[in-house]
Amino acid sequence: MKEIFSISGIDIFQRDFNQIMIRGNEHEQLNQIINTGVSLNLPNENLKIVSNDNILIAKHSFDQWNLIYFNDQNYRDVLKLVSNLNSNNQVLASDYSYGQVYFDISGEKKNYYLNKLTHFDLRLKKFPVNTMAQTLIARIDCSIYHLKEKYIITCNKSFEDYFTQRLADSINL
Amino acid sequence: MLVINCPYCGERDQSEFSNGGEAHVARPKNPETLDDKKWSEYVFIRLNPKGIFNERWVHTHGCRKWFNAIRNTSTDEILKVYKLNEEPPSIDEFDTTLKTPSGEPDLGSGNFTVKK
Amino acid sequence: MTALNNNNNSRVTDSNKVSFIFDGKKYFGFDGDTVASALLRNNIKIVGRSFKYHRPRGIYTCGIEEPNALVQILSENDEPNTRATVKKIYSGIKILSQNRWPSLENDFGYINNLLSPLFSAGFYYKTFMGPKGFWKNIYEPLIRRSAGLGKPPKEFKSKSIHHHHNVDIVIVGAGLNGLLAASKFIDTDYDVLILEQDNILGGSLNSSQKIKTIDNLDTRAWIKKTEDLIKKSKNIKILKNTLATSYNQINHIIALEDNSVGKPLASHKPELILHKIRTKHTILSNGHIERLISFRNNDLPGIMLAGSFEKYIFRYGVIPEAEPIIFTNNSSTFSLLKSLVDLGCKPKAYIDARDESSIEKGTKNILEKNKIPFYFGSEVEGCDGNKKLETISIRNKEKKIEKVSGSMLCISGGLNPDVHLFTQSKGLIKWDEKYLTFKPETAFQNTITLGSANGNFNFKRVIEEINEKLSLFKINELKIDLESDCPEDLNIIELWETNNEKKSFWSKSFIDIQNDVTTKDLHQAVSEGFDRIEHLKRFTTNSMGTDQGKISSINSLGIVSKILKKNISEVGTTIYRPPYAPLSFSAIAGRSTYEFYDPTRKTSIHSWHVKNRAIFEDVGQWKRPWYFKKNDKETMYEAVQRESKELRNAAGILDGSTLGKIEIKGKDALEFVNLIYTNAFTKMKPMTARYALMLGEDGMIKDDGIVCKINDQHFIVTTTTGGAAKVLSDMEEYAQTEWPHLNVYLNSITEQFSTFNISGPKSRAIMRKVFSDVDFSNDKFPFMSFKKVNYLDTEVRILRASFTGELGYEIYVTPKYGLELWEKFFRYGENLGLIPYGTETMHLLRAEKGYIVVGQDTDGTVTPLDLNLNWMIGKNKKDFIGKRSLSRSDTSRKGRKQLVGILAVDRSKIIEEGQHVVESSSIPSKIKFPVKYLGHITSSYHSPTLNHYVAMAMIEGGNNLIGKKFYVTQNQSSENISVEIVKPVFLDPENKRLLS
Repeated sequence: MKEIFSISGIDIFQRDFNQIMIRGNEHEQLNQIINTGVSLNLPNENLKIVSNDNILIAKHSFDQWNLIYFNDQNYRDVLKLVSNLNSNNQVLASDYSYGQVYFDISGEKKNYYLNKLTHFDLRLKKFPVNTMAQTLIARIDCSIYHLKEKYIITCNKSFEDYFTQRLADSINL
Repeated sequence: MLVINCPYCGERDQSEFSNGGEAHVARPKNPETLDDKKWSEYVFIRLNPKGIFNERWVHTHGCRKWFNAIRNTSTDEILKVYKLNEEPPSIDEFDTTLKTPSGEPDLGSGNFTVKK
Repeated sequence: MTALNNNNNSRVTDSNKVSFIFDGKKYFGFDGDTVASALLRNNIKIVGRSFKYHRPRGIYTCGIEEPNALVQILSENDEPNTRATVKKIYSGIKILSQNRWPSLENDFGYINNLLSPLFSAGFYYKTFMGPKGFWKNIYEPLIRRSAGLGKPPKEFKSKSIHHHHNVDIVIVGAGLNGLLAASKFIDTDYDVLILEQDNILGGSLNSSQKIKTIDNLDTRAWIKKTEDLIKKSKNIKILKNTLATSYNQINHIIALEDNSVGKPLASHKPELILHKIRTKHTILSNGHIERLISFRNNDLPGIMLAGSFEKYIFRYGVIPEAEPIIFTNNSSTFSLLKSLVDLGCKPKAYIDARDESSIEKGTKNILEKNKIPFYFGSEVEGCDGNKKLETISIRNKEKKIEKVSGSMLCISGGLNPDVHLFTQSKGLIKWDEKYLTFKPETAFQNTITLGSANGNFNFKRVIEEINEKLSLFKINELKIDLESDCPEDLNIIELWETNNEKKSFWSKSFIDIQNDVTTKDLHQAVSEGFDRIEHLKRFTTNSMGTDQGKISSINSLGIVSKILKKNISEVGTTIYRPPYAPLSFSAIAGRSTYEFYDPTRKTSIHSWHVKNRAIFEDVGQWKRPWYFKKNDKETMYEAVQRESKELRNAAGILDGSTLGKIEIKGKDALEFVNLIYTNAFTKMKPMTARYALMLGEDGMIKDDGIVCKINDQHFIVTTTTGGAAKVLSDMEEYAQTEWPHLNVYLNSITEQFSTFNISGPKSRAIMRKVFSDVDFSNDKFPFMSFKKVNYLDTEVRILRASFTGELGYEIYVTPKYGLELWEKFFRYGENLGLIPYGTETMHLLRAEKGYIVVGQDTDGTVTPLDLNLNWMIGKNKKDFIGKRSLSRSDTSRKGRKQLVGILAVDRSKIIEEGQHVVESSSIPSKIKFPVKYLGHITSSYHSPTLNHYVAMAMIEGGNNLIGKKFYVTQNQSSENISVEIVKPVFLDPENKRLLS
């Protein structure tokens, strides 16, 4: 956990999470594998999140889910789940763990600062807790997950330096 | 910038989307059976009408899903969005008169501001 | 006469004195003064010279509509064309007047005024026609030197930012109507954003005493009370110093906030904030703008709009002149007259174009009581004076000219609702015969117009209008008690211009004061046939200045309609386009400049590259090592020659992490891959790979890459670095729109793997050391096959492939271990001669081998057949993207450009990329006929292994020209280089190295 910024109204930490991108239409069968693997059910509705202390699963769209491990996970276990999922010919699971970076953003001014970087409507009435969105932040593709009192934003790892600089810049200016 | 109602993600800013031109132009099933003219019509020719237009959009910087929309190209209003597997809504559902502020001619840019 | 102080009764107090510098001289103003109000305090009348004729000009207005008083702010990076009527002063601000040389008082360019008959409408179009060569050498430099008003600023690193808002309601303008509307939304569920261009709320309540009290509070107290209530409400946000400049589709509003009003630019804060606002409803309560009347020399310093004069008194506490003359055609000047008298000032004369009978009693009472000379049914014929107003000629009701001396003339030609934003939103406006102006008629978006912006100039009707128009919201009715002694009606008569008695070069009647367009120009343009208002505008440049003719464009319509004998609504208006007022480029660019110009992507090995003196190349957004400097002295050419040579002798490793990677899986993955690429994949064995081409439906090469088959349901493909995003998008498009029946899923895994390309004769030995338990023998690990290998707690994929023509491997590892594994290669490989190499060496090596780079050797007009890549086309496949187009008449014709190799006959010659392949040995110095051109050089490098240049070219009918001799042009010489056409393979045509 790396502190990027912490001032009055906003705290940003960079986190090391693991992630699996899951594609498929076989909802029931997928659900079974997931449920056995991590004891959570896949969310049914687009842009909805189910989560517990360890894991978040979000439905990006009708054939796409995303699973994030919050805690330090044995990498072999992550890859094992990927391989279990991939045993089904009609499912594609890709390990996204180290190709992404994760930012944990909290504080009452988080919307104010983030709206310097994105047009996305972050108002609670439009972006309630336990929903997610894929959108542009600082002109790059990001996923933003709204958990209780915080956001988790992920983007491609290659943007790590650029994105951290943009976050700091928008808070400094 | 328009606001486009992605059928999967809801209303989002146009900057997240890309336009894919005319909708419902299916790729020919057996390209080899087409003569050059027919094939070139598929590859190169698309409609660009003034008024009601069925067109394709993709939520490039969102869910990356394609969908169709009906847009009035003279006012830029998106009248309806529908999924790829849905039947295109009947044109009669919409007011096909060009509802520009001053009732523009069928061709040309018009863009009048004064009500007569 | 001199200016008087009214600070006790205004919004600027005289407690804080502020010094400022204007044209090198020090003056004093007060905290809160604009440059204009401070200059008026100091009795400075001339503040600039005009655009075309360099006539002396003064301050004409008191706000954003100012045509004349534009200044350059030296203390803010020389910011030019700043409105003196808007810019607030602060201690130490340095201001320079514009468009004059050597000084304001004595300006050389004034000679243009004397030459003015030359500069009439369409002057530029008519004059600069010939002779040949004059445009480039004489006219253009001359026009460029004299163009514009201020000087462009020096480069400075702006810190302007963008800020996005999503709200339910935007209120533009926090005057009486805006504040009342906002009050209705206090503590409701609506998110409201208020945009106010001034640094205080209240709008025109601050500019006059038209309204005495609201709810028995004086206006200042009422504004404060209302502002406090609004601020307490969590759902409402106020942005001051923020000007709404654009009203776009779907209620998207752009507003510019000046973040350093009344203070110097801070070094660590943004100068400007561009607010991008998306709302559901927009309330336009942005008021009105006064317009002028055209008469002879109506541009003299000392002439000012009446409402602006009044605003200086009450908003800024300066009475520019104690005894002005007032000229009007409507009742709005009543309050100015009354205020002046109340303040103990006595206007020198009151000139009213209306009949005595139609002038309200109140005005007449004041005039009579104070014995102010009163000219009804009269007009100003013109003005005279030496660089400033001295005499005013009045044409009285008997049509006789009477002269009055005076130094200040306040004019009012009527009030225009500020419909700019409304029409930008595509709202329709309509001509109002009663108020003689355009009023909002039909909104096109969710737009509500209130108050004078809506053409409602009657204060008594304000609250009624607000309650009615906001009734669509679930909010309470509002009641206020408003006290005003102003006439309820504007009672205006038509008056656009007055007739000139006196004719001289010097005498001009201006319609657009900023662009020096005269009423005569309008008449001339119409008589030359420019009778459409949009044409007339461009021909005369009327209302094309930075003020966009805010105080005069309606007048020009009035004049033109008279000439054409048409109604104004028939004449129409030009289209109001955003922005409402000029936007600084720095605000538009926001943070997308310098280091943030484009997002940048770095690989997991980036820090190693930096440490090892990599020079980077931008490939798309990626930073890729271009070459590695061995030491500071090594040039790029030397480095690339060295890298190439050492790789062919031992081994080199390239960071290929930027290559696009896509994972394809599903029941129908094989069929999908067969349709996407030209090659045939059905008979391909699992765990093998193939170099593959992707075409567009037009048959042209779009991208290339390597397809790895894990099994018939699972593939991993690579793309070029630049093509990655497009290829994934195209694949997704086909999967979703054309072949939804295929069960196939695509994930981008570009970022999930660090990728290294190791190649060179020693690469096998190095691989054996790094992956000691893998059999790298030719039998067990043949060319174009791949393996999955355990590595720590993960798996590494190794593919035997090469883009250099040498024995080579590609290693795919999770970025978790990317850097670690890269360093391991050097630990094991350094004593075997392993070197890092960059993209330039990669390009050189592949050119020696004749491998193409999509986008360098191809350009979107090249088919696989043009490259002799027929072997890559699965001819037995029924269909793939672009297949049908390969037999189109154009793609199958003879004489298309084809890829060939080029070698100079004299091998020591340098062949440059992009040069033409021609048939003649030199280019004539005077080209009388087109020189036949066969094609161009697409790639050219000096090969250190062969010790001469190797080049590739796309030339017409190239396949049939092998062995023939042609010429290649040179950059610095008209002598062409003699070359021979060869097959595009220069090294190891038998693939011995590749398959070793």
